[in-house]
Amino acid sequence: MSKLTLKTEGDTHVVTRRFAAPPEAVYRAHTDPKLVQKWMLGPEGWTMPVCVCEAKPGGKIRYEWKNGKGRGFYLTGEFLELELFGRIVHVERMHLPDPTPDNHIETRFDADGTGTLMTMRMTLPDAQTRAAVLATGMEHGMEASYVRLEEII
Amino acid sequence: MELAKPFEMTQPAISQHLKVLEDAGLVIRLVKGGIEAMDQWLSMLRKALDKNYDRLDKVLADIEQHKKGETR
Repeated sequence: MSKLTLKTEGDTHVVTRRFAAPPEAVYRAHTDPKLVQKWMLGPEGWTMPVCVCEAKPGGKIRYEWKNGKGRGFYLTGEFLELELFGRIVHVERMHLPDPTPDNHIETRFDADGTGTLMTMRMTLPDAQTRAAVLATGMEHGMEASYVRLEEII
Repeated sequence: MELAKPFEMTQPAISQHLKVLEDAGLVIRLVKGGIEAMDQWLSMLRKALDKNYDRLDKVLADIEQHKKGETR
C-alpha cells in the first residue's frame, strides 16, 4: 500500500503524503541540510555528498548527488517564502549539466491528527527536461535510452 | 499537411487513409508515444518520491526516538 498520491493538474504535479511525525519535525527534515542529506536521495545507490539548504527567503539551495559509479549531477535553487513549520516555496533547477527550466515548488505541512499531511505542488517539466532527467541514470539505463528514442521519434 | 504534400490527394483524403491504417493497427499516432513517455516519467517520479519518503519516515522516527531519550 502506497501512502503517496501523485496527480497532474494542468501543468502542475500535486503530491500528497502522510507522515507519523508532527509538522514541526517534517518541516525541519525539509530545511536542515543534515537531515535532507539522509533522505532526499531518489532510487537506491545514490548519495548526497554536498547539501546547502539556507532556509530563509532568498536563501540558496545546492544538492549534489553521486551514484558511486562515476555518475553525478547537481541541483541549485532559491527559497522564496517560508512559513515556519507550515509552508515552503522555492524554485529549483537541475544541471545536467545544462540547467533545466526553473521548477516552482510549494510544499505545505498541515497537522493531521498526531501526524502531518504534506502537499507538494510542482511545475510539470517539459518533454526535454523529463528525458534529460530520466537519462541521468536515476532510472536504469534501458528505460532512459528508450525515452530518448521516443523523444527523437 | 506535410504528409499530403507528395501525394495528389487532399489533406482530408490523406487523413481518411491514415485513419483506416490506424484502425488496422498499421499506424500508431505519435501522440501515443507522448503519453507513454509521460507514463514513464510519472512512474519514475513516483518511485523516486516513494523511496525518499520511506527514508524520511525513518529519519522522523529517529528524531522522535532522540526526543524521548532527551526527556527521559
